[in-house]
Amino acid sequence: MKSIRRCQFLISLFIVLFIAGMAALVIKIHREAKFYMTHSGTMSLGRVYDRHGDVLYTGTDDDGSSYPDNYFIDVGSLIGDDSGQMENTLVARNTDKLNNYSFTAGLVREGGKAAIYTTLDHEANRKVYDAFGSQKGCAVAYNYKTGELLVCTSLPNIDVTKGYDDIANFESGTLISKVMYGTVPGSTQKVSTVITALEIMGADRLFAKRYTCEGHYTNKTGGVIDCHNIYGHGEQDIQQALENSCNPFFAQLVADSDMPLNKIKKIYGKLGYAINGEEMEYFDIDGIQCERASTTLEDTDDFRTQWGCIGQGDTLVSPMQLMMWQSAVANGTGRMTMPHLIAKVTDVYGDVCERGHTEFSEQLFTDDNAACVRQMMLTNGANHYSELIPGYSLGVKSGTAQVDEGAKENSLLVGFVDDEDFPIAFCILIEDKDSGSVKTDQIAKTLLDALSE
Amino acid sequence: MVNNPIAYLFSCIFVLGAHIAMLANVMLSDGSGGSFVLLAAGVIGLDLVCFTVMPFFRQQSYTIDFMLILVLNMSVIMQSCFGGVGFAVKHWITCIVALGACRVGYLLCRDHKWLEMQKKYYYIGIGVLMLITVLFTGSRSMWINLGENTSIQPSEFIKPLFVLACATSVTEQQKRHRILGFNVVYDNLALFGLTAAICLMQWWCRDLGSLPTFVGIYAAGFLLRICYPKTKFSKKSLVGAGLALALAAVLAVFFAPEYVRERIFSDIWSDTSGNGYQQSKALIAIAEGGWFGKGPTNGFLHEVFAHENDIVFATICEEWGLLFALMTVLALIMMVAVPLISPPRSYFHATMSACVCAAFTVQMALNIFGSCNMIPFTGVTIPFISSGGSSMLVSGLMIGMLSACQSPVFRDPEPFRFNAEAPKRRRRA
Repeated sequence: MKSIRRCQFLISLFIVLFIAGMAALVIKIHREAKFYMTHSGTMSLGRVYDRHGDVLYTGTDDDGSSYPDNYFIDVGSLIGDDSGQMENTLVARNTDKLNNYSFTAGLVREGGKAAIYTTLDHEANRKVYDAFGSQKGCAVAYNYKTGELLVCTSLPNIDVTKGYDDIANFESGTLISKVMYGTVPGSTQKVSTVITALEIMGADRLFAKRYTCEGHYTNKTGGVIDCHNIYGHGEQDIQQALENSCNPFFAQLVADSDMPLNKIKKIYGKLGYAINGEEMEYFDIDGIQCERASTTLEDTDDFRTQWGCIGQGDTLVSPMQLMMWQSAVANGTGRMTMPHLIAKVTDVYGDVCERGHTEFSEQLFTDDNAACVRQMMLTNGANHYSELIPGYSLGVKSGTAQVDEGAKENSLLVGFVDDEDFPIAFCILIEDKDSGSVKTDQIAKTLLDALSE
Repeated sequence: MVNNPIAYLFSCIFVLGAHIAMLANVMLSDGSGGSFVLLAAGVIGLDLVCFTVMPFFRQQSYTIDFMLILVLNMSVIMQSCFGGVGFAVKHWITCIVALGACRVGYLLCRDHKWLEMQKKYYYIGIGVLMLITVLFTGSRSMWINLGENTSIQPSEFIKPLFVLACATSVTEQQKRHRILGFNVVYDNLALFGLTAAICLMQWWCRDLGSLPTFVGIYAAGFLLRICYPKTKFSKKSLVGAGLALALAAVLAVFFAPEYVRERIFSDIWSDTSGNGYQQSKALIAIAEGGWFGKGPTNGFLHEVFAHENDIVFATICEEWGLLFALMTVLALIMMVAVPLISPPRSYFHATMSACVCAAFTVQMALNIFGSCNMIPFTGVTIPFISSGGSSMLVSGLMIGMLSACQSPVFRDPEPFRFNAEAPKRRRRA
């Protein structure tokens, strides 16, 4: 009988293993059914709202005709739709959350309450969008304490309710949010180089360094780095060089024997740069992919490397990442606050099934160095922007990026508000700055005023 | 004729009631046209015939038989509703074939001593079937085309013979021989060689989907051989065998043919129109069906190739719901779990039950988990649920073997002789 029991034990084992597999299958199907439905071609998408309940996307059962003309144009390339024309948008990346479907209720075509409530402030976003006028570019701002994205607009843009019939005549960049893609950062890159120098040699040694600017700098390999001030800034320290945005100073700093290449690469790598053609990675903002920074660091005496550390040439950084570095400085911790766009998600019954939460990156640089850079930027803000953007205690750094092989220049401004009750970090990009009269500080003022209302 | 007529009657009512409830569901979903009437007549008629015929086979237990007719007619109803009501005559006929095969399996496998004596014929039978597979199927395929959209898979018929081969010679475990410093049992070597040959054939015929079924049967048989009383098979050897099996599985993945590796490592959602077509459609159908299904005849999966066999679980989920599909699988599992409630009375029958259980569970797992993208997708069937003549016949035969384990006969072995003279009567002294 004992031997028969062995057989029964083996039969039980087969059955138990199979039933365990079936249980795993049921759990898998139940958890992933929403994802499967996104491939079904039959969806019933709910709405997307801003932080005040304003509609940003109308859902499958509403063609948006009841809204004013171009009502959604400031968020078109960020929020997107399910047409398949734009892949890197909130709706396209979260159709499973937005679909009025549950495994129990099935696909609810009418009356479903699936929705995404975003952290965006539509009114402020719209004001910033309008402030660009006829110029192109983008602007992004978030709460650097919580990571809530408040403003994220890009120009040119699209009102998705109008469809894509005229897609052949769309301007370049209409269907992407430029906030998420790499751009030449110009002198805003110098913030990264300052952080790197501080990490390598410490504040005392860095502030003791003095270099002379004569309007240009010829490096050891014969490469010439020009300064925007053709008469030169004379002898400066790091604070003055940052405020003057002096290229020759930073080129000499990179070439300094106290700045070994391997250490620069290490700190840049920690900041998130893909160096010397490393595989480009992305970071995820509620499904939306945002490009990581990239640059070339081959030889500190070489023009290309020095030019890259100044923020020109091969260096590319997305406005989103420029803003995130500001959070690491503004928080005084050296940790970036990771941005998020989704505040909460409701299911087909209207019950909250997911909430956004604050996350921080690993420590990119020390607290002391964060505090040091913070003070340097606040000094720059107080000395140069207190009249342009009155009413705010700002830490800022501007930049001018040469694009199209120097044919055009983009204007950038990154910064943060030094206010516990109004902790905003931002990045503004105006493309081809000479094509219009709008300045980055004007956009920044509009942005901060709109958010503080 | 029946030990407990009341239990028999209530079992009949239960099976008939289940089928009538399903038919009512179909009627509510798709009206009551001529096809529905045919379907209802086919299902209820087959139920009644079975209930009438079954008592003529004097069995100690009819549990498996009732479960079988329940599952078979469930599958007839489900197969008849994929994409619209149309009586699946071919499937219904194969179900009758399966019932017949079950009777044959039952009658042949009741006497374990007689079965032990036929051991050499299992090996010969398997050899012949392998030869037929290699010689008469298409180029590196498992099917012999008989024309008129009909084909037969000879390798399927190896399964019951292989189960019998695994169940025999258990008592030989105590007879060990020393070869090259190892204690070996000749029978185990023969069985291992047979398994290896079958695996090679499956590899050659590019039907690696059935391979785990054979390995499952062999594993069950082998384990019960080495666990036979007084075999003194050390635990170290057992662990070693397990590790060797695991290593073989890893090596198999590494050295698998390209088409298998594609299935193992491909992301079905990035290739929904290629390798991932059937699985992605199956999962979408399951999601659309939800717990309670869209209703019989209301699915879309019937438009996908192999909806009635390879991805039949998903087709049922879509139309009848995941709950119903799970109940169907549960009915099948209960069938192979009967030896747990009513234990076999010989080690041979117990081993045979375990091997049949292994074959059924592995086959169901391959089909269901494969079509749902938990494991690589294979073309094996769910016994009695998927359509397919060879599969139905063999599954019926194997379930008949299981049924025989419930009603064994015990006789002294008599040597098999051709033209044997009738035994002379002994005269009383």
